[in-house]
Amino acid sequence: MELKMKMPLPHGGRLVDRVVTNPRAGKKMAATADAVYDIKPTLYNGMPVRNVYREIMSICYGFFSPCEGSMTKAELERILKERRLLSNWVFPYPMLFDISEEDLKKLKVQEGDRLLLRLKGQPFAVLDIEEIYQIDAKDLATRTFGTPQANPEVVKVAFDNKHPGYNIYSSYNRMVLAGKYTIINEPKMRSPFDRFWYPPAKARAEFQKRGWNTVIAHQTRNVPHVGHEALMRNAAYIGDIKPCDGIIVNAIVGAKRIGDYPDETIVEAHDMVNIAGYVKPSRHLVTILLWDMRYGNPLESLLHAVARQNMGVSFHMWGRDHAALGPYYDTYAAQILWENGVPSFGFDKPPYAVDYGLLMRPQNMAEFWYCPKCTEVTYSENCNHDKERQRFSGSFIRSLLAEGVFPPAVIMRPEVYKTVVKWWKILGYPFNNKKYLAERENELEIDLAEMKLK
Amino acid sequence: MNYLAVLLDAKRLADIQGTALEKKVTDMFGGAIKALIMEMPEEQTKKVLSAFPAARLDARFFLEEVPIAVKRAIFEEIKRSKSIEPKVIDAVMAKADQLKEAVKKESEYLPVPEID
Repeated sequence: MELKMKMPLPHGGRLVDRVVTNPRAGKKMAATADAVYDIKPTLYNGMPVRNVYREIMSICYGFFSPCEGSMTKAELERILKERRLLSNWVFPYPMLFDISEEDLKKLKVQEGDRLLLRLKGQPFAVLDIEEIYQIDAKDLATRTFGTPQANPEVVKVAFDNKHPGYNIYSSYNRMVLAGKYTIINEPKMRSPFDRFWYPPAKARAEFQKRGWNTVIAHQTRNVPHVGHEALMRNAAYIGDIKPCDGIIVNAIVGAKRIGDYPDETIVEAHDMVNIAGYVKPSRHLVTILLWDMRYGNPLESLLHAVARQNMGVSFHMWGRDHAALGPYYDTYAAQILWENGVPSFGFDKPPYAVDYGLLMRPQNMAEFWYCPKCTEVTYSENCNHDKERQRFSGSFIRSLLAEGVFPPAVIMRPEVYKTVVKWWKILGYPFNNKKYLAERENELEIDLAEMKLK
Repeated sequence: MNYLAVLLDAKRLADIQGTALEKKVTDMFGGAIKALIMEMPEEQTKKVLSAFPAARLDARFFLEEVPIAVKRAIFEEIKRSKSIEPKVIDAVMAKADQLKEAVKKESEYLPVPEID
């Protein structure tokens, strides 16, 4: 009987690596392009809600292996019906390079052409066009997230324009260029994101260097409160013959909602948990994933599992309202998927039990709350003091901060709060506001070296 | 029923000292935070959410992320009426239009707290 675990293989068997690191080779590829296109953000009500560059980064660096590019019509249909790529591997979301009809006319490209994609005025990537087709963005948005009629197991309320993920897909341009991406100008990650940038190959090497065989992932889009920390530490008691060797925090970095914390604050606040010694730095690693959150609860959990398995992670903690927003999905939709499957999404069994599924063991967790009687943060399945218990609430903590109240240590570590204040001073505001989101869209998370083409 | 917690710092606690409100102070997180917890009927909750879209109802059924200007007005009304009954919110919502200007400024600037 083998009890000890090894690092899981990448999803699909091998890591996608579509980044040309040799500038000369990159330049040569760029020179063969038939047309040039400047990447534009997806806008909703004039605000940037997505930038396809983040998808290109996550695909080319292997986070979304085995996906290699913008999907063909047939692949898109398979994703929407069965959440599978044409190669049969589980994959939750459409990955599409969409452009307007007007832009397509100007570009005059056709199937078989190579399109050079520029970002921040510099050559960034190429897209080798295999197919050009039309989409209906509203239909895409509805089918991506599901409906109460078609997916009654988990969808409770029909999606509408109060859901930011729905707004992303429903704002896509009409034309899709399908084909593989290749990054031809290796980007430099901007500070402070650079020290948290662990693409799958680098993450796997780091885990090996640290002697980590078993790693559990913590999903975040938030500054950590003490409840998050308790979740992280306790969930990590799962493992093989001992608790997990490592805990990775994988923060989603990308366009977010007004009122959320800025990404800079999120990553450094999580890092502070280990710097201040609440979890040993040798056991805790903060990393990022470039992705404009779709807030798709069970589907988002699949994407998280894909990215994190590719990074070499064996376990994933799933909690209440995983990557969720609003009343659309069942509160426990992600846990339902990982415990029983969701047949209407193509899972008659959990994603780890289906063919071409994920090698990710779920750790479905209930809640952590503060109990004044236990005088500690305790697990909801242990503590029976229902009248005394107090649940953590991110919204409550944001209210505290906005009112200028120093949060008590039982809610937020003082070092974490000081990190929030550090970025508040730098950015001029504690949360995402219109000004921050607009500036962030200009700067993005990367810089590109000048690449002159003849 | 939904709820709204009005946080009490040292100054606010001093403001209600000696009044009947003192007995209504709730300890949160083992006494680390003190607050007046107001009950918010469904209709009133909807009104606040519609007037101030940044506000959210969290999983505890507490109305949170209510703009600071509104929270401040609620506390002033509590102090004046010495009550935490729903009529306090009605009185504040009656001047919602006046508050909106302050709320708009708040979305651009919040003073950085002074900490060591």
